[in-house]
Amino acid sequence: MKLSLKNISKSFEVVKALQDVSLEFHEGEVHAICGENGAGKSTLMNILTGNIQPDAGDILLDNQKVIIQNNQHARSLGINIVYQERSLTDGLSVAENIFPLPPTKSFGRINFVQLNQQTKALLQQLEISEFLPETMVATLSPAQKALVEIAKALATNPAILLLDEPTASLTEKETAILFSVIRTLKQRGVTVLYISHRMAEIKMIGDRVSVLKDGKYQDTLLTANCTTEDIIRLMVGRDLQQVEVTNHATEEVVLSVKDLCGKGFTDISFDLKNGEILGLGGLVGAGRTELAMAIFGATPIDSGAILKNGQRINNKHPKQSIANGIAYLPEERKTLGVFLQKSIAENIVSAQLYGNGYSVKTNNQKAREYSKTLNIRSASVQQLMCKLSGGNQQKVVLAKWLNTQPDVLIVDEPTHGIDVGAKLEIYKILKQLTATGKSILLISSEMQELLLLSDRIAVMREGKLKGILNKIETSENEIIKLAAQ
Amino acid sequence: MIKDRIVTLSATILLLCIVMSVLYPSQFPTVENFSQIMLNLSIDTIVAVGMMLLMISGVFDLSVGSIVAFSGGLAGYLMYYHDVNFLLAIAAAISGSLLIGFMNGFLITKIGINPMIQTLAMMGVVRGLALMLSGSGIQNFPYEYNYIGQVKLLGLQSPIWYMIAIVLIFSYLFKNIAFFRRYYFIGSNEKAAHLSGIEVEKMKLWAFVIVALLAGIAGILLSSRLGAALSTSGKGLELRVITAVILGGASLSGGQGKIVGAFLGAAFMGIVGNILILTRVSGYWQEIILGVILILAVGIDQLIQKKK
Amino acid sequence: MNRIKALLFSLFFIAALSSCEAPPRTDGTGNNLNTTTFVTADSVSADEEYVMITTAINMPMYVNHDQAAFKKWAKKMGVKASILGPSEWDIPAQIATFEQVIPQKPAGFLINGTDPGIAQVINKAVDAGIPTVVYDSDIPGARQHSFIGSDWYEMGRLQGERMVKILNGKGKVVVMGILGMTNMEAGFQGFLDVIKKYPAMEFIGKYDDKANVELAAKITADLIVAHPDLAGVAGFDGNSGPGIALSVKEANKIGKIKITTVDAEPEHLQLVKDGVIDYLVGQKRELFTQMGAQLLFDMRHKTIAFSKNDAKAGVVPIPKNITTGSIEIDKSNVDLFIK
Repeated sequence: MKLSLKNISKSFEVVKALQDVSLEFHEGEVHAICGENGAGKSTLMNILTGNIQPDAGDILLDNQKVIIQNNQHARSLGINIVYQERSLTDGLSVAENIFPLPPTKSFGRINFVQLNQQTKALLQQLEISEFLPETMVATLSPAQKALVEIAKALATNPAILLLDEPTASLTEKETAILFSVIRTLKQRGVTVLYISHRMAEIKMIGDRVSVLKDGKYQDTLLTANCTTEDIIRLMVGRDLQQVEVTNHATEEVVLSVKDLCGKGFTDISFDLKNGEILGLGGLVGAGRTELAMAIFGATPIDSGAILKNGQRINNKHPKQSIANGIAYLPEERKTLGVFLQKSIAENIVSAQLYGNGYSVKTNNQKAREYSKTLNIRSASVQQLMCKLSGGNQQKVVLAKWLNTQPDVLIVDEPTHGIDVGAKLEIYKILKQLTATGKSILLISSEMQELLLLSDRIAVMREGKLKGILNKIETSENEIIKLAAQ
Repeated sequence: MIKDRIVTLSATILLLCIVMSVLYPSQFPTVENFSQIMLNLSIDTIVAVGMMLLMISGVFDLSVGSIVAFSGGLAGYLMYYHDVNFLLAIAAAISGSLLIGFMNGFLITKIGINPMIQTLAMMGVVRGLALMLSGSGIQNFPYEYNYIGQVKLLGLQSPIWYMIAIVLIFSYLFKNIAFFRRYYFIGSNEKAAHLSGIEVEKMKLWAFVIVALLAGIAGILLSSRLGAALSTSGKGLELRVITAVILGGASLSGGQGKIVGAFLGAAFMGIVGNILILTRVSGYWQEIILGVILILAVGIDQLIQKKK
Repeated sequence: MNRIKALLFSLFFIAALSSCEAPPRTDGTGNNLNTTTFVTADSVSADEEYVMITTAINMPMYVNHDQAAFKKWAKKMGVKASILGPSEWDIPAQIATFEQVIPQKPAGFLINGTDPGIAQVINKAVDAGIPTVVYDSDIPGARQHSFIGSDWYEMGRLQGERMVKILNGKGKVVVMGILGMTNMEAGFQGFLDVIKKYPAMEFIGKYDDKANVELAAKITADLIVAHPDLAGVAGFDGNSGPGIALSVKEANKIGKIKITTVDAEPEHLQLVKDGVIDYLVGQKRELFTQMGAQLLFDMRHKTIAFSKNDAKAGVVPIPKNITTGSIEIDKSNVDLFIK
């Protein structure tokens, strides 16, 4: 047994983040850790990397009790982590990022030759050929940057590697690379702790999976012997399939896009029907977000037309789109969608600032109403956005857009980085919206999500629309075929 | 967090006043002294209100001092050398200031020049214009013009009243008018603001025009009060005002700050200046002390944040 | 409730308007005898405070001459001397400082006449009954009790006479200084009036060095290129001399271009000794403040009385204007000035 946690507890004032948690991790195993937001996963990781100390309990490494004092200490013990957030420096090369303490010659000069060789060797080992050691990180795509992060963690030769949502911004190809790297690590006896929400991946790469719920340890299952539903049941205590999947689409076309061309997409034509959820699938980089931003008026359109309810509209600025009844929930929620330093109430009114008056009282009232209908969990509507969980933040974003009385909502990766429980709630909300006559253009990279919610699925690849599939008749394979060929 | 700053700043000012009143009972707590302090900080405060607006939206303007000089200089030039009626001269000065603000805003939003660089350059250009207009100084303004800045109401000279009016008006606007609330969102997250339908470029342009307008008004008041247009008017004003606004609760990254904070920040600096004069501390200490105060204020704030 | 608010507001408004105090008229249309009383005292107290307000408070010339003499005087008389003002040439700051000291009613003000813009505030001090003396440059629009300073026209004339002498009445000359400043323009005029009398002297022009050494050097260098036969340069502010000298040295024209200038600071004296500058017109700055302060003292303590009560009678018992004269320095006496 490589690493074990015995009766670990940690509280932050009143909040009991971890209660009496005991876990065991074996050498050379890939151990997945699942749990909703607030279940205690981050606290657990922070304790293992030395960022915080547990209030009670012991950590045993190779059967020896240890107290992990700080990051430095954790790394020296062989524990390293790849975070969800990027920690790379754009202005430096891949090699410099992977080895922040580079080999030096006399007088502290960096030995670039050796540095690049080291990096090349490491990249070869990991079978990463997408970039070179000398490549500037600024030029890499988010997916490639994720690979650099992983390489960076592996450069320290960890005995225990923690991966926090590692495939969040990876394409299929890179996920495959990651998995092969993990398998190599397994063979070398490295213990991999894999924190993720993606059930399919857990089943594919994990040996065992442990579930935390509300700070308490639930159970550990062998991935070979369990189903996704089993895991989810442990996490939330309910089934995912509780979303009603009635198709509310009518024959009326609310939004019509004709031969739209712009940066990142060409000749896009489709119709969005009233009450319909039109899924937009494709790989990362297919041009879906570019299309969405153009329809919303945030970026320019080179040619083509957009018609709403039969009338041609010319959206030169998001302000006009909002006036035309179109809303857009951006993919990068934190940087584009919310005002982190502002309160829930302020965020909810942020898209409706073109009336004349501004009354804090009215805003608060409105916010409270939306909080109720969307079940936003927070002590008060004055709470700052940065203190909310991903799921609650997304609900606030939804409230903000619902506040503009839109007919069409374009939602871009709406459940990205959100725990399963909140995901469910958002699915329900989206479906309810279509029942009231609103239409949704749903951009998502999660197959399950697309297949569950969409009435029809359009697939894009390299800026072109490859086809529109009818939900009932299609499957994951069909979608992937269109997206990848 | 902002609320805290307003409270702590007010408390500090109160404390200073109490201490000074005890140490200099015949000199500090007099109507004369206080009205003098207010009079001297009125110009700075009027510009600070505009600067607070800018810093809420995440930018600042280094050319305001030059605009103050330019405004008074243009009015003085017209009245002295061309016998222009004082009202027309004022109109010209204000229009000139608005034009400068528009240019700043245009070059920054449409052409994309970095605000600091643009306003730094404009600071030089406008100061040069002011020098050309006022030469080594213009005096002998018409009585009507001087009246504007020198008339006393209830014993307080008019710039004080203008300051109070502007602070009150803008405080109200910032709380209740959607147009001004938008600046908070722009400052908090410009991209998200754009995607929320806010016309960020237009708003920023307006911001620069507004601050130039306030600087222009301040320039008229200053030259009217002194009865002279000086080429050195407004020198160093921008840094003083930015310091006042930061003391008052604005953050360099934007999205925070209240108008009344600009007033309190300027008042604090004015009182410190007064204390240094009353205690006969040498001139150069003033700059050192103000710098130290700024570091302390922001530093203590950071520590409190960390504790939370 | 709103009606009551409106009523209160309008009452306040009316009260405010009616308490409107117009500023005094300075164009002679007002009602004033143009004299105000001033505060006197019968005995000398150690707490008596004489306040000097200037700009550029750290400038070496000010510190070593004006301020040193002032402090020496105060020590001898057993009274307090305070020196206040900004470290930059910041007129509004000087005004702000001045205004804030007036309410404290010091025994007297010694004000460096930096800019006509300070006229208003000088008048405020006088109206508050505080003896006020302006030194260095006069402020014509103001009602100070006395002015003490150099005669700049005379300083220009002296430079003109000397320049003609060393050039033997023939050659191209220029003047340099801060253009637009009243006292310097007077200096230029003094110089020009002399030059005009000698037809073989050619006056090229006036140049603005903005009291900046580098700029003075640059202008001189440019002039040497434009006029290879340039014979003489006359400087009028303290920084002109060193700047002109620098360029003349670098162009290898020492002795070929004659330099006269104002001020007698260590750097000027050294340049005279080195033979680069031919003639200095120095100011008796110590007199500005030592005598200026004494004037304030005399006014306060009624040293000489012209009537039973000068303050009440509207008599100002000190001279209206004092010209301190100039110090002429050249190679023959420069050693006596070098410390």
